[in-house]
Amino acid sequence: MNTSTHTALEQEVAQLVIDTLNLEDLQATDIPPQQPLFGDGLGLDSVDALELGLALQKRYDIRIASDDKDARRHFATVASLAAFVASQKAACAN
Amino acid sequence: MSGAPLATPRHWSAQRERGSLLLMRFTALVARRCGRRLLSPLLHLVVMYFFLTGRTARRSIRDYLARLAAFSERTELRPTPRRVFAQFMAFADCLLDRLDVWRGALQLEQVRLFDPDGIRTQLLASHHGGRGQLLVGTHLGNLDVCRALAELGEQVPLNVLVHTHHVAHLNGLLGEAGEQRMRLIQVSELDAALMLDLAQRLARGEWLAMAGDRVPLHEGRRVTVDFLGHAAPFAQGPWLLAGVLGCPVNLVCCIKREGRYEIRMERFLDAPTWTRGRRDDAISSWAQRYADRLADWCLLAPQQWFNFYPYWSVADA
Repeated sequence: MNTSTHTALEQEVAQLVIDTLNLEDLQATDIPPQQPLFGDGLGLDSVDALELGLALQKRYDIRIASDDKDARRHFATVASLAAFVASQKAACAN
Repeated sequence: MSGAPLATPRHWSAQRERGSLLLMRFTALVARRCGRRLLSPLLHLVVMYFFLTGRTARRSIRDYLARLAAFSERTELRPTPRRVFAQFMAFADCLLDRLDVWRGALQLEQVRLFDPDGIRTQLLASHHGGRGQLLVGTHLGNLDVCRALAELGEQVPLNVLVHTHHVAHLNGLLGEAGEQRMRLIQVSELDAALMLDLAQRLARGEWLAMAGDRVPLHEGRRVTVDFLGHAAPFAQGPWLLAGVLGCPVNLVCCIKREGRYEIRMERFLDAPTWTRGRRDDAISSWAQRYADRLADWCLLAPQQWFNFYPYWSVADA
């Protein structure tokens, strides 16, 4: 679990984070999959979350429900975001 | 950039919602049954009652007039009991006009349109595959007359973002009034789902309208700007949406001058963008520029300021 190598999807999600938020001085590999995105980690805030949420939904054609109590958990790290995207895409495919 | 605490012990949405909802219901009912001539004395009585019993409302209007007079150096605007009372009566008139709008009695030809940037043309164009835009309105004057906008825009759907919890009820009232193109969307919390919904509406060519001069319940979503020479909390919401959705933003205002309504539309931001580190600065500067325009408009129609609650920061009182 504690590996810092990215899966293909994690790499993609990390790049989306960088592109959406214009973190130009960073590369996808600079964001370890397990590094917290908010607070002490990458230092994102609630408005970043809005931008990121919008970009994710558009890019992967998924939905983040308003009443999803787990949304905060999904957005914790690149790894959790990637897992969330994968599960949503699987759910949509069914 | 959290805003200063509000002076009012109760938030405006708690304070006015119930009353105005009852009033709207009553107005709608009587309007259907009786019409303006009969309603007018009744409504003026109701508003007089609000004037006599609403100490906070009276004091708030007095503050507003005093600040407007000092800011503009126009002594004739200084508050007197008569002028404060006139503000309440202007509100009664505004409600009566609203009624005419609801009945469809106010025709587009009766409204003067000031639209130097051609916003109306863009509104019409978005019906044919264009992208939607943001409209930021104000509680100066009569926002309801902007429903003539629905006519201005012909079939372009207008989504009005509101804080109220009474959306279902109000949508019902609108439906009863025969309004189909305007929809109210409750926005208490900005979240990813709402953002997607709004982004999709814009992509479909729908427009989003909201007021820029009411602060949200959420303390953190406020920004303090200078309004008429004093610090006042303003909403971050419209500017956050602008930045996140990245669509053009326009200001709209509808005031009555010489007995005739005037809709003013103007471009505010062509393509709002921000860099992450300077986002708070961007929001502050947009909110400040909006407050400055609002001050200009207040001077065009000093009596039509219908925010009957303490508007400025308490620290600045």
